[in-house]
Formats: sequence, structure tokens, C-alpha cells
Amino acid sequence: MDTAFLLNSIWVMLGAVLVILMIGGFILLETGSTRMKNAGHIAGKTILTFSISSVIFWAVGFGLIFGKGNSILGFSDFFYSGYDIDGMSLSGAVFFLFQLAFAGISLTIAFGGFAERAKLGAYLVFAVLFSVIVYPPIAHWIWGGGWLAEHGKQDFAGSTVVHLTGAMAALAATIILKPRIGKYNKDGSANNFAGHNQVYTALSVLLLWVGWFGFNAGSTLSADAGFFGFVAVNTNLAAAAGTVAAMIISWVVLGKADVPMMLNGALAGLVAITASCAFVETWASIVIGFIAGILVFYSIRFFEKIKIDDPIAALSVHGTAGVWGTLSTGFFATKELATVGQPGLFYGGGLHQLGVQAMGVVVCGAFAFVVSFILLSIMKAVMNGLRVTEEEEIIGLDMSEHGSYGYPELVKAEQKINA
Amino acid sequence: MTFSSYPEIKTFRLEHMAEASKDHFRINKLHDEIYKQVILLALENTEKEFGPPPCPFSFFVTGSAGRSEQSVWSDQDHGLIYLCHSTEAQSYFLELGNEISKGLFESGYPYCDGGVMASNPLWCKSISEWEKQLSSWLEESSWESIRYLLIFLDARTLFGEKGNVNALKKQIFQMADHNHLRIKFLNNTMHYKKGINVLGRLLPETYGQHAGSLNIKEIGLFPYVNALRLMALKENLLETSTLSRLESMSETASSALGKDLYKQEFLKLLKYRLQLCDQTDYDSGHYLSLKGLTKEQTRELKDMIKHGAALFAAVRKLLEKEDSYGAK
Repeated sequence: MDTAFLLNSIWVMLGAVLVILMIGGFILLETGSTRMKNAGHIAGKTILTFSISSVIFWAVGFGLIFGKGNSILGFSDFFYSGYDIDGMSLSGAVFFLFQLAFAGISLTIAFGGFAERAKLGAYLVFAVLFSVIVYPPIAHWIWGGGWLAEHGKQDFAGSTVVHLTGAMAALAATIILKPRIGKYNKDGSANNFAGHNQVYTALSVLLLWVGWFGFNAGSTLSADAGFFGFVAVNTNLAAAAGTVAAMIISWVVLGKADVPMMLNGALAGLVAITASCAFVETWASIVIGFIAGILVFYSIRFFEKIKIDDPIAALSVHGTAGVWGTLSTGFFATKELATVGQPGLFYGGGLHQLGVQAMGVVVCGAFAFVVSFILLSIMKAVMNGLRVTEEEEIIGLDMSEHGSYGYPELVKAEQKINA
Repeated sequence: MTFSSYPEIKTFRLEHMAEASKDHFRINKLHDEIYKQVILLALENTEKEFGPPPCPFSFFVTGSAGRSEQSVWSDQDHGLIYLCHSTEAQSYFLELGNEISKGLFESGYPYCDGGVMASNPLWCKSISEWEKQLSSWLEESSWESIRYLLIFLDARTLFGEKGNVNALKKQIFQMADHNHLRIKFLNNTMHYKKGINVLGRLLPETYGQHAGSLNIKEIGLFPYVNALRLMALKENLLETSTLSRLESMSETASSALGKDLYKQEFLKLLKYRLQLCDQTDYDSGHYLSLKGLTKEQTRELKDMIKHGAALFAAVRKLLEKEDSYGAK
């Protein structure tokens, strides 16, 4: 067995572990950004839906994405049994696990749009449907040799495949579920449902940030020439630039250095650099991250204004920044680094690559949104609504869906005060 | 004009408020009148039960009432000084304070969240105890005790001899001067809500029922109020309203700071608050919706806010300079 095969396998295995740890990041992010009475539910369902996604990915997801089929979908390799894959210089099982982790992250992002009001049953059913019908086609088109891969679409680690897909499903869900009780006043003004723990949110960002080294640098799928180091540097720089940009813009516009906004800026930088991390120079990753940090600020305000209640800013962090990240390679991809597709506008490639990127964004975004919307609408009809009752929403999903609070003493003390 | 019950006073208030609320000075006169009627009735009720007061006393209002800067709605802020010293006197005047507080509540003035009311032993004391309390506040000079002293500086006698409040204020002036404490008073009022961002745009509330409205009390009025209270401390002024404090500043101070511009701007702010804020309840009365403003009004509002910030900065500089010399 050759050394390269072993090293590649070890490196990508490390990547898979880091990406799966990002689920922990999402647990802290979602609970920290929401209210105490839903914390246990949100933490628990995240583990549960990742588990569902894992089993589905093993049964059909992997085959639909990477199996032999046509340019729309794969149709072999269901119920993967651990064999190596022809032409790949790393363990097949490691590759499988790495891809499984990505599918799980995309689903977790989608569930951001469900937060604090969807029934547990809605999570379970949609976890299955998303993992079979929404995610695999898009992943196949771009990464599984599908029609967008043939066009040379650049999406190194999944700004489109993972983040935009998840965000568009989240958008469909927020529209169908409608805002949380009390989010908007009669006159249309919004109330701020401040997250119950900013420390959790900050720690989640750090956990996701580190996990992203697995997500992006691991997507090299190889340890060859240590290229993963370069990808990791770009990743880090974009996150840093996004943080600083969001802090600056919120201070300039709102007059205060808003902590949740700054944290969203870090995540937006990470999401944006995900597509381009292997294709652009280091300075460009700072520009890409910085722009993402500004965009996320305006995006969050925009969604709030049009009355789309997005409790953890999934639409802005993963959607808006995902779109920008995908388009960014159309500007910044260099001749030397563009191993897929062509160089961007600023490197003599003209508008060709930007066009390919834009087409990818539009088609994948529309597909994810429309299919999710249809699936959720059918679920709503069949399941007699996707949302818990008003009473359940008020006592909290911890109690209504699971029968116990994540913070029993604190929630009870709070209820006593309000009574 | 006498009243036999608090609801009657409330009715009187309702009848006269609409007319009085067209003008800043008239509305404050009306509030004073209502307060006085409540005090008279409360005194009558207390006398019925406990007999006449054991000795003379002064009742003072503070906060926006003390400064004669109330709007339509105003919460209670007051205290009491009595001239004899005994436990019987204390319990009598606490009863009276309680009755006044209850009467004000029933007449349409919400209780003070911070407990600055003559029903609270902290704000209802004999003159000798007041002297001791002020001294200990000054000696302690913690954030909280300085806050109490700042509140006391806005005290204005509404019933009884004026000399008592003034004598106590002079005590504060003297001690603050002696111990170089003015800088502590300054540090206590340094933080106020930002009203304009670096791009020069107004910063209204972003969430809640007042989204899109500007908190005119904290953003607009407070810098002026706080700056002039500090000047009152520096210049030993007994006046309580921001306008009269501006008027009575020494020649040196007013030429250093300028006063006509600030008088004009502060008056305009009061007018904006009274005429443009939604006066349906206490909370809403402090929020100015930016939607209905004309371009000209928006520009004026920005100027008022900028001038307030400039005034506060100038006063701050003055006090810091004084402090850096170590003494007056």
C-alpha cells in the first residue's frame, strides 16, 4: 500500500472528524441564538437529525450522488459496504464518511429555518426527504460528475452544494412556518428575540471556524504537496475579514459594535470562502470574507424587514454569503489555481466563469427552494400542520416535544416571575 | 379651589391637560398645581387620622418635575425634609409621604421605580439627618451615592420653606468643591445613548413597538440636562431647570460655552417632544417617530442632538481641566 494513499486517508479522516464536530458548533449556535425554553429540544434534535441523515446517506444518498448514472443523478452504490473506489487515492470508507458529514451539515443548516416553532415530527420527516430528494441531486450535479461539473462549475467545498442548498430549504420552511409568536407587532415593527446565551454563540463560531479547516482544507481529498495548508490559510483569513467587516458596518450604521452581528460576519466569511478557498490568492480571500461580512449585515436587516423570521440568520449566513462565495470565484479564480473551470474576470478569464457560477447559483438555488417548498407543503397537508400549537410554542418546545426543559430550574423561575 | 378626593384631582388633570399641553411652561405649571392640590388633600387626610404635623416641613420634587421639564406623563420623584428630630416625627412624616405618594398615583402619576419618594425613609428625613446623609453620600462617593446626590441637585421645593433644600444643596457644593469630587459627578453621567451614526444619520430604535422612533429623552434632552446639572454643581447654582441654569451661569462660563444657542435648541427639543411625540402613555411620550418628520425638521433635530453632544463635551472638558489642576 503506498504512502500517499495512507496519508490521504488519514488527512481526510481528520477532515471528516472536524466536519462532524461542526454539528456541535451548530448546537451551540442555534441554542445560543434562541430562547432558553427551546434549548434542550434544539440541542437534542440536532443530534437526532444528523443520525437520520447518516442512515439515509448510507442507504441511498451516497449512491444518488456518486453512483454511476446520468448527468442528473447517480444510480449505483446504494447501501455502501466499505469498499475502495476506483481511481481514488484514499480509503473509500474515509471518502464516504467525509461526504456523509457534508450531507449532515447541509440538513442542519436547513433546520435553522425551523427553529422554535416546528413540531418534532416535521424534523424527522423532512430529514428523510431532504436527504433523498433535495441534497443528492445538487451534490451530484456539481461533485458527482453531473451536468454542472461538465460546465466547469467551481465549488471547492460547497458554498452552493452544502450552504446554499441548506439555506434555500430553510427559506421555504420559514415562509411556510410563518414568524414565531410575538416576533412582529401589529404595526409591522419587529421585536428582538435576543438569544439566551451569547457565550454559546461565540464558542459555536470558534468551533465552526476550526471545523471549517476540515470542511475546506479536507476537501483537497489529498495531502499532496501540503496544498491543504494554503486552503486553510485562505479559510482563516476570510473568517477574520468577515468578523472585522461585520463589526465595522454595524458600528457605522447602528452606532454600536453588535456582538451577534460580528459573529454572523465570521460565519459569512467562512461560508463565502468555501467555494473559492482553493482557487484564489490569499489577499482575495480577505476581500471575499470582508464583502461577505458587509452583505450579511444588510441581508439580515432585509429579511427581517420583509417579515421572514429567521431565528439564527441561516438565510443570510448560508444563503446570501453562499451566493456571494460561489460568484466570487468568477472574479478572483487565478489561472494557476483554477484546476476546475477557468480563471475569473480579474485574471483574464472574461465573464465566462462568472456566467457558469451564476447559472449554478440560480439553478441549484431554485431547485432546492422549489422542491423543499413542495415537500413541506405536502407534509403540512398530510401531517395536519408543521407547527406546534400556540400553547406549546409559549411553554417551549422542550416541554411540548420532549417533556422536560433543558434548563429546568431557570425556566421554572422565569415562569414564576411572569405568572 | 379645593378637592375632596384624588379621583376629583385626576378629573381636573384630564380636563386641563389638553389645553396646557400646547406649551411647555404651562404644562409644568399645571403639574405643580396638581401636586400642590394632592399635598393639601394628603395633609388633610393625614391630619384627620394622626393630628397636625409635629413641626414644619418642606416637600420637594426632583427629576423632571424638579427641573420643570415634565411632559404630559410623568412619574413621581419627591422627598421630604422636616425640622424636628424624633421617632414620632419620622413615623408621622412617613405616613404623610405615603399618603402623598398614594394620592399622586391615584391622580395619574405612576410610582417611581427607583423609590425616590417621600414614602421611602431614604428620602424622608429630618434636616439634621439629611445633613448626615448627604455627608455620608459624599464621603462614600460610590456610583450609587453620587447618583442620589445628582438627583438631589434637581430638588425644588413645592411646599413649605425653600431654605431647607437650598441649605442642603450648599452643603453639597461645599463638600464637592473641597474634596475635588466634581469629576466623580461627571463620570456618573458620561454615558448617554447615541443618536447619530458616523454617516450623520439618525439612529432610531430598531426593535419593539417604538421601532423607527427616536428616544428623544435619552438622546436629545439628557446631554443638555446632565451638562447643566454639572455646571450648577461647579457654579453653585440653586436653580433646577436646565433653562434657568443656562441663564444663571457666570459670565466666564457662558462666554466659554455660549448660552443663547443652547437655550434656543433645548427649548426647541422640549417643543418637539411635547408636540410631535405620541403622548398616549408615559413610555410612548419619549419617542419621536421619524416617519412623519419633514426634511427641515429632521435637519433641526440632528442639529439639536449635535449641539447637545457638543455642549456636554465642552462641560466635560471644563471639569476635566479643573480636575487636572488638582484644585479650583
